[in-house]
Amino acid sequence: MHKRKILIVDDNADIRLGMHLRLKANEYDTFFAADAFSGVAEARKHLPDLILLDLGLPGGDGFTVMERLKKIPFLAVIPIIVVSARDGLGNQKRAFEAGAKAFLQKPVNDDELLAVIRQSLDEIAGIGDQVSP
Amino acid sequence: MTDQALKILVVEDNVGDVRLLREMFRGESPGSFELTHLLRMSEAETYLAKGGVDIILLDMGLPDGHGLDTVMRARAAAPDVPLIVLTGLDDEALAAEAMTHGAQDYLIKGQIESRALPRALRHAIDRHRLQAETDLIQTQQIEFKDNFLSQVSHELRSPLTAIRQFVTILLDGLAGELNPEQRQYMEIVLKNVGQLRSMINDLFDVSAMQAGKLKVDLQCTSLSDAVAYAVDTLQKSALAKGIALSSDIEPELPSVCGDPIRIRQILVILGDNAIKFTPANGTVKIRVRVSDEDPGFLQLEVADSGCGVAADMTERIFDRLFQVPDPALEERKGLGLGLYICRELVTRQAGKIWVKNGPEHGSVFSVTLPIISLSRLIAPAFEEVRQTEPLFTLVATEIGSHTGWLSDTARAEIRDLLQGCLRSDRDILLPKMEVANTASEFFFILAMTDGIGGEAISKRIRQQLSHTEHLQQAGLIHSTSYHSIDAMRRDATESKKELLSRVTTRIEELMNEHTQPRQIVNA
Repeated sequence: MHKRKILIVDDNADIRLGMHLRLKANEYDTFFAADAFSGVAEARKHLPDLILLDLGLPGGDGFTVMERLKKIPFLAVIPIIVVSARDGLGNQKRAFEAGAKAFLQKPVNDDELLAVIRQSLDEIAGIGDQVSP
Repeated sequence: MTDQALKILVVEDNVGDVRLLREMFRGESPGSFELTHLLRMSEAETYLAKGGVDIILLDMGLPDGHGLDTVMRARAAAPDVPLIVLTGLDDEALAAEAMTHGAQDYLIKGQIESRALPRALRHAIDRHRLQAETDLIQTQQIEFKDNFLSQVSHELRSPLTAIRQFVTILLDGLAGELNPEQRQYMEIVLKNVGQLRSMINDLFDVSAMQAGKLKVDLQCTSLSDAVAYAVDTLQKSALAKGIALSSDIEPELPSVCGDPIRIRQILVILGDNAIKFTPANGTVKIRVRVSDEDPGFLQLEVADSGCGVAADMTERIFDRLFQVPDPALEERKGLGLGLYICRELVTRQAGKIWVKNGPEHGSVFSVTLPIISLSRLIAPAFEEVRQTEPLFTLVATEIGSHTGWLSDTARAEIRDLLQGCLRSDRDILLPKMEVANTASEFFFILAMTDGIGGEAISKRIRQQLSHTEHLQQAGLIHSTSYHSIDAMRRDATESKKELLSRVTTRIEELMNEHTQPRQIVNA
């Protein structure tokens, strides 16, 4: 089976590298974006299986990214996991409203992150199975 | 306001009284007041929904509404319009109570001085405006503080994320194998990252507490699960210090009414403190049993063999930012928030927390939490119950989902939403109860109202649930119904206690009827 592709959208270069190392070790391919605009552009370009999305981004925030992705049918179906340093109270609710699969608070526990990624990808795979003849 | 007519809505079923009121405006310059008169509360609700009213004059005895209920209905229909209550001489106490429910003033019929009425109206409007402005300023201040804290925590959490990521990358050998010494040092870094993280979370909890935003989601929950979780979480740091951590739970304990996540948090804070203040080779023991003092409570105890708490510190130790003033303990300092958070959390779950020194050495922190009991939960609604006010309504909302699963977030949100549908402070949203095995979940509200009020609450709940888009998207199915408990009309000989027990039994019956397995349809 080919490797699953994950797009990491985070403005902190250290965090992008850290996530990349962790995901690479778990057999995922990674792509990166450091702001809201390139978040959408990279998603178009690579058609990832999943997006890890920070909320605080230059050029709009994570919610802007989700809004824009929602308007493009073939990108709207990609599961999004919000990984944010913002507090969970209001943002978690907003993230779910915007269509996120999960909300993880930084600093993230790696095991939890990997489990949520796996679960989201499995769900998508499950839907695919049902649809295919 | 000066060049535009002041639009007054009078809701009064006595036409004579209205004529008198009209007379009182005769002396005012023409076009400065515009008076609309309606006879019924239901008409008033429809009229208010259209907007454009500057002030309401409301009679508290209408054909289709009585007493505080009329005030609450008017407030619900037009929350931003100032309200003056009209009342008879014998009902002044009730009118005064109306003011605590949002009325700006009350006027006693037959005692209104003609020239004073227009002035009273203008004053009420001014007072209402000032109140709205004060509320706005307060909200803005809280928002500012929240934004600031969210900014600070964001700034602290981001670098912490990167540190944690790379430490774990090194520890997991993703950048090559570490030698034992390097591994040991990295473990130390990781442990300290964990401490920083919990401090940031503590700061957050405390600021939420002060803003009154700390959420405690009361439900029927087991303490043994919480203890098992805490022991599991704390075992590592206990072992590292050579401390024997154990638990002792009486078998077959009843469930308590509490927030399972907050109870774990309390236990972890107390356990963590115990480990911190106990020397190597000591013991920390977590016990749960029925309270000796009050059999309506379970008592949690965290006992350690550490240095104990000085007698004059046993109260102050729970204060915010309190630190033990002992230079020998300098390196064990935290933010001084843990026990403060514990006390707040315990109090919000109707429990108590205290500390005593152990029989030989060390200290024992005790926490009580109420054993779940329906009559205890609904007792507050009966505190001020009046002879003439016998009506309760049980509103039952059943929630299921097409996926067969309700997430914690969705559950918390539904509770918030239902809480917002309550009409008075005495209405109670009951915590999640243990019900027979059904796929769906039940939320019950005990409201101090009649059938009409029950209908209104149910309608609002249905609307709210149907109009919350993402709950719909999540495949939510819901059904809400209400039952008047009007058979509970008190007779003079019945004590409050008897009434409480009778209502409790009836609610239990209704709950049982509800939780019989069956199909839900949106209704």
